[in-house]
Amino acid sequence: MKHELCRRLSNLFPVLVFLFCCAAPTSAQDEFFEPSTTLGGYGELHYNLEDTDQSPAEKKLDFHRFVLFYSHSWTEKWSFKAEVELEHNFVTTGKGELGLEQAAINYRHSEAFGFQAGVVLPSIGLLNELHEPPVFLSVERPDYSKYIIPTTWAGNGVSLFGKKNGFDYKLTVMEGLNADAISNESGIRGARLKGYQADARELLYTGRLNYIAIPGFLTGLSFTKTKAMGTVQDIPLTLMEFHGQVRKKGIHANFEWGGIDYDKGSLQKSRGFYFDLGYDMAAKTGFSGALIPWFRFADYNTAASTSAGGDSEEAQRYSKWLMGLTLKPIDEVVFKIEYGYQKNGLTDREQRLFNLGAGYMF
Amino acid sequence: MIFAVERVFPLPAIQQIFSLKPKKQLMKILQIILLFLASIAYAGGIKSSAEVKIRSQFDVKAKLIFKKYTIPADKKSAIEKRCRQRFYRGKVYVWEIRFENAPPSIAVLDNVPGKAMPITFMVIFDWDGAVRFVDIIKYRESIGGAVANRRWLRQFEGWRAASQELLKNKIDGLSGATISANSIIAGVQKLALLFPEIKKEIDNANFSTQVTE
Repeated sequence: MKHELCRRLSNLFPVLVFLFCCAAPTSAQDEFFEPSTTLGGYGELHYNLEDTDQSPAEKKLDFHRFVLFYSHSWTEKWSFKAEVELEHNFVTTGKGELGLEQAAINYRHSEAFGFQAGVVLPSIGLLNELHEPPVFLSVERPDYSKYIIPTTWAGNGVSLFGKKNGFDYKLTVMEGLNADAISNESGIRGARLKGYQADARELLYTGRLNYIAIPGFLTGLSFTKTKAMGTVQDIPLTLMEFHGQVRKKGIHANFEWGGIDYDKGSLQKSRGFYFDLGYDMAAKTGFSGALIPWFRFADYNTAASTSAGGDSEEAQRYSKWLMGLTLKPIDEVVFKIEYGYQKNGLTDREQRLFNLGAGYMF
Repeated sequence: MIFAVERVFPLPAIQQIFSLKPKKQLMKILQIILLFLASIAYAGGIKSSAEVKIRSQFDVKAKLIFKKYTIPADKKSAIEKRCRQRFYRGKVYVWEIRFENAPPSIAVLDNVPGKAMPITFMVIFDWDGAVRFVDIIKYRESIGGAVANRRWLRQFEGWRAASQELLKNKIDGLSGATISANSIIAGVQKLALLFPEIKKEIDNANFSTQVTE
């Protein structure tokens, strides 16, 4: 009896020590930290013009996103972070969107290990976690980051994260996808549950690994697996992507490639890529901010392979090129202008695009 | 901690783990991992961490004289406006690093804001005001930790507040750490602008002595 009690206590002892150390971190705090609440946010105003020879130009003016970020840090290790997003100025039936983009308890045990629980952002692609307007060059986010990686992709779940020896990782388990909303036109974009009483019969598992040891260079990849649940059928799918980024000697370059494979249903594959190349001329002109002319080429197809083949695949293929100028008078404020063309694979119809944008973050 | 490890896992019997059944092997390994994590849950203080880094840059014979330096209010306001970043408090930690036959160097420690948590960093200046060394003493955010990369921080070395070259044009950006990187750049500039005031106080021999050998 005594031996059994000692054995049980010895098994529990390290667990208790570990929990105590997590709960009592005050010995590591000092006068360079105090519990605090931070308010932040970002937003962007867009002017969009789409024009073809066959129809009148579509022109829109839209405050696309207004996001409030707030966080509270209880200790150096425990914090809470949240983002609330309003899209398109207001919400009414069928218009606008108001949602939680993040709402997670964070624990940072060390540089190598931490976790989050709540509404989390899976680390897939370059923009899903970091997408404030001054961070990317174009007025709208790349189409790849809308139709292949459906940013902003957030949901209820947990994540583990950390950094070690020049590598940065994040593993996430979260709510899955709605198979009924997967379509040729939008891939998995419409299938996001967005946390609303999310179906948890099948979860989504994703892991991302970045190499960050060389300042100014970032490269990495992620793998995602889930079974989207539906009323008609369930669709197992996998998403693989890789990405690279350069911020060095004035060069601004992004590259992303991603592919989704669907194991059931008429839609079989979605594919896409884009690359951005720009150069900050501020140093050459003596300007104290950033002045970046840039170019983008993108090609994506949400229905790269279907059981029907032919026109059903070509109809969803788009190639686009854009060139633009991004001006940041200070790091937190950005003005953008861009011009380009988008072509559809089936109709060969070309759309002329002209966009203006103003954005901020704080 | 050794007692705790021995309580769970007798050290002399290390080979016994591999003779256990798989379930018990897993339990023992998990216990060791938990104790290891617990042992690193406690970190050293900011001041001692900074002094370790200072000592790593200089000869062991250098004498460190520590002071909590109160920033003159008018200078504080002017520097904050110019750099668009506040000092964390009205004081910064300063060490005068004294040598026998050479002018001193000066280390200054302060916080800069991250997205939600402060980043504690240190700059060491040569007596002529040139940045000699920059390091991150404590990074608390869950993302953007690339600012602690030594190759990135080395870019600050040699810069002076009086330089014609804007500091932000000298420093390459950082993928995935834009907010943190911009914050550190403003922070280094802030301390470089404060340096002449600290130097004046040392010159006037007003530095109180709290010597760290």
